[in-house]
Amino acid sequence: MDWGYINARIRGMKSRLLDHRTLDNLILQPDMDSLMAELEKTAYREDLIEAKGKYTGVTAVEYALRNNFVRTFRKVLNFSKEKEARLFISIFLHRWDVQNIKTILRGKNIHVTNEEIVDCLVPVGELDEAALTELVRQPDVKAVIDLLATWDIRWARPLTTAFPEFARSGDLGMLECALDRFYYNDALLAVSGKGANNAKIRQVLSLEVDVVNIKTILRMVRDRIAVEDAQKFLLEGGQALDQKMIARVLVLPTIAEAAAMLSTTWYPTMHPTRYRFLATIPEDVLRAQKISVIEKQLERHLVREGVDSFLGDPLSVASLIGYFWAKYNEITNIRIISRCKTADFPVENLREELIYV
Amino acid sequence: MVGWEVPIGAAIAFSFGAIGTGWAQSRIGAAGAGAIAEKPETAGTIIILEAIPETLVILGFVVASMIILMVK
Repeated sequence: MDWGYINARIRGMKSRLLDHRTLDNLILQPDMDSLMAELEKTAYREDLIEAKGKYTGVTAVEYALRNNFVRTFRKVLNFSKEKEARLFISIFLHRWDVQNIKTILRGKNIHVTNEEIVDCLVPVGELDEAALTELVRQPDVKAVIDLLATWDIRWARPLTTAFPEFARSGDLGMLECALDRFYYNDALLAVSGKGANNAKIRQVLSLEVDVVNIKTILRMVRDRIAVEDAQKFLLEGGQALDQKMIARVLVLPTIAEAAAMLSTTWYPTMHPTRYRFLATIPEDVLRAQKISVIEKQLERHLVREGVDSFLGDPLSVASLIGYFWAKYNEITNIRIISRCKTADFPVENLREELIYV
Repeated sequence: MVGWEVPIGAAIAFSFGAIGTGWAQSRIGAAGAGAIAEKPETAGTIIILEAIPETLVILGFVVASMIILMVK
């Protein structure tokens, strides 16, 4: 496995990511036009010029970012010829398949126009633009699932299984949860073998599962969901939380207490420092049950852990994982900046919304 | 009278140096190709880095020559 070549290319690509100063410069731009002018001085130039021919303002930026994201990861997949590298990259790209299918299902469920759905898709995974466009053309949720099943695409399996439950309850969460569960189970199974690369990917996926589960648990505590019902929404494959811990947290009356318990270190399977930051969340945020603030902290934690992979063995999948997270974070940051510019959001508050890595 | 051990010794000295160089250059070459693909301006540095392991085989050659010429 020639990780040297892949790693060198990834590090070359990493050097083109925007640094803190450039991000600060983007934040300080007074309006959308000057923001786009600044972005044209970066690696997004090509995509932005193309986007400006079709759209204007924030829509053009969104389009350019999406194109850049797709182009970047297709390029990574193309230069990674080895089977093992392609498997690892596919695991990370499949999440956008899941995301795209969820977007289409949500759109179909609330009868959004096809154009609006297409604008929200990121065709970077196994499902390319043509396949996604065909899925969007379907009249309803069932037709989308049927088409996936006809194409014999893996994501049809969990959707077909969960569809009767969705048909009964009308809760799209059932389908989304089934998709997530299938994605993580499938990915963890693919990297269940021995070796440092498999272990690294398992660690990253488990961390994601834990973060998703913590978010879900906090929501369930807020909405007072019964422990028995909770299992339907939780993912398997995490490391920090086991069934006993989940049951203990779910019976707590407030988010503050749940966050306090999740941040403690006494629990034997809990990483000693991993979720300690939950204890630092201001009391008024917890009292007001502002889950979005806690979710932002968890997201920050996930991105930082992912980007820290760059510090791992250079002749392994570590730098690839680091780059995925760094690029994802950069695009998220630019999207936040461009959205905030259109809404005249104060610069000081805007900085707090970004995740610097 | 020079026995069979002199040429064998020289061969070992040279061949291990060559194998080491080949291995190192293959790794540096792969990574270097990746670096040049992304940043063509690094080509000069990469060529120098690629040449550094040559010292191993040159050293092996010198030692092999010394064995042949000096061991009588």
